[in-house]
Amino acid sequence: MAYEKPLPNPDEDTKPFFDGLKEHKLLLQYFPSADHFQYPYSDRCYKDWSTDWEWRESAGNGEVYTWVRMHQLYHPSWKEEIPYTLAVVQLDEGPRMQTNLVNVDPEQVRVGMRVKVFFDDVTDEYTLPKFEPV
Amino acid sequence: MSDPIRGQTAICGLGITEMGKVYGHDASWFAGESIKLAIQDAGLEKDQIDGLLVNPGITGMMGTGIGIPLQGYLGLRNLRLLNHMNSYGATASAMIQYAAMAVNHGMANYVACIFADAPLQQGGSAGAAYGGAGRRGPSGMASLMPAFGFYGANTSYALAARRYMERYGITNNDLGRVSVTQRRYAVDNPHATMRQPLTLEDYHNSRWIVDPFHLLDCCLVSNGAVCTIVTTADRARDLQSDPAYIWGMGQGHPGNFPHAEVETGTTSGAVIAGETAYKMAGVGPEDVDICEFYDCYTYTVLRTIEDYGLAKPGEAIGLYPEDPADPEADLPLINTGGGQLSSYYMWGMTPVSEAVIQARGSGGDRQVEKNDIVLCSGNGGTLDTHGTLILSPNAN
Repeated sequence: MAYEKPLPNPDEDTKPFFDGLKEHKLLLQYFPSADHFQYPYSDRCYKDWSTDWEWRESAGNGEVYTWVRMHQLYHPSWKEEIPYTLAVVQLDEGPRMQTNLVNVDPEQVRVGMRVKVFFDDVTDEYTLPKFEPV
Repeated sequence: MSDPIRGQTAICGLGITEMGKVYGHDASWFAGESIKLAIQDAGLEKDQIDGLLVNPGITGMMGTGIGIPLQGYLGLRNLRLLNHMNSYGATASAMIQYAAMAVNHGMANYVACIFADAPLQQGGSAGAAYGGAGRRGPSGMASLMPAFGFYGANTSYALAARRYMERYGITNNDLGRVSVTQRRYAVDNPHATMRQPLTLEDYHNSRWIVDPFHLLDCCLVSNGAVCTIVTTADRARDLQSDPAYIWGMGQGHPGNFPHAEVETGTTSGAVIAGETAYKMAGVGPEDVDICEFYDCYTYTVLRTIEDYGLAKPGEAIGLYPEDPADPEADLPLINTGGGQLSSYYMWGMTPVSEAVIQARGSGGDRQVEKNDIVLCSGNGGTLDTHGTLILSPNAN
């Protein structure tokens, strides 16, 4: 069945991030002058305003910072999925990511639970960085 | 020591339009009704208004909100102060703060501060008005949000609430106690949209929106407008309505930094804004008689109570009765008009309007007897922006 949920829409700046996902790599911006990993993408470090940075691969490990179960249908394509689990994951490198938790009994989800990235190849073209328990 | 500006300025006029599912008018129309009511309340003539600050609600983001053109629509030809402001839900209190400083220094005499919104369409849902469904999809990183199924403010506040609830052992029943308490106040508020009493059972039976939030954890969506007129204390004293004197003002904007170095969700700008306002007013949490807090969600109220130092972390719920539907239950003097949860959603003007009513003693059946210090909050983003007002019926 065709994938009908909203898909990412990369722009020029974020294309490397989305290309990385396709290769099952979670790329973060690293700003050396502030020794700072930043997410989501920005063309400037919010710590020291530096514009020098590089993509670095995240180890993909972290913990659940917080989570919810979405019951409200905002877009028809989620109809079969509701309720689904949304989370904020605290990556070990520092940044927090909004994501989905998968492969987990929702009753077991807790703040602080260790998780790792799960690359979900939703279409031939796009991969989403979801997370699952370690 | 209080600041010399304490009690030097006041809100001298308040206009609250019909609220809720009022169809067939745009935001400008509601703005016009609100300023008309406000000058009648103050006993002013239109031409005396020489300042206009405007804050559109969600219609401002949809392109149909009020803005600078409101001056022309209202025919205000004597303006010495004009601005279109936005710090989200903190804007209402911020407008009043800037107006107070302006009148205190002679930049204007009577500043109308207006919030107006009209997102509800006949036959459309509140979710359609605020959820963002159907709008053109975002690009870049932001496109991941719909791809993961993140929609609307409900999700981001539910995420904040969950972190707090797990840390302090707060339950859904606790959130329900806030919701039921506010509904009891709304029953006595003629401006309120939801006036039928609620029980905790009703709360638990209301559908899930995004767990941990039921429908009854979430604010209403309303069409309407509120206008407040700010002037100096000296002018306000001679006008027909009792002034609500401005004792304290403050802002705090922690923003949103999704990084391990910054805790989000379990703290808000009220910490800094409150400290600033308390200092200006020369009062502390122990002096507060009535609270009117921005309550986009039940959790926001608990968060705000703690951040103003009115309860220890995790203990705000202790101010609420076990069963607020019990007629014998002693309700906390918080959101005495029913708030955004039960009365009307005019962003920061919801708490401001009830704070003015209580400070002027015009609350009718719901008027609180001791109203010397009324603490009022505005909050925007996901606990990212914050404004504080401290109002009093006394000039000093």
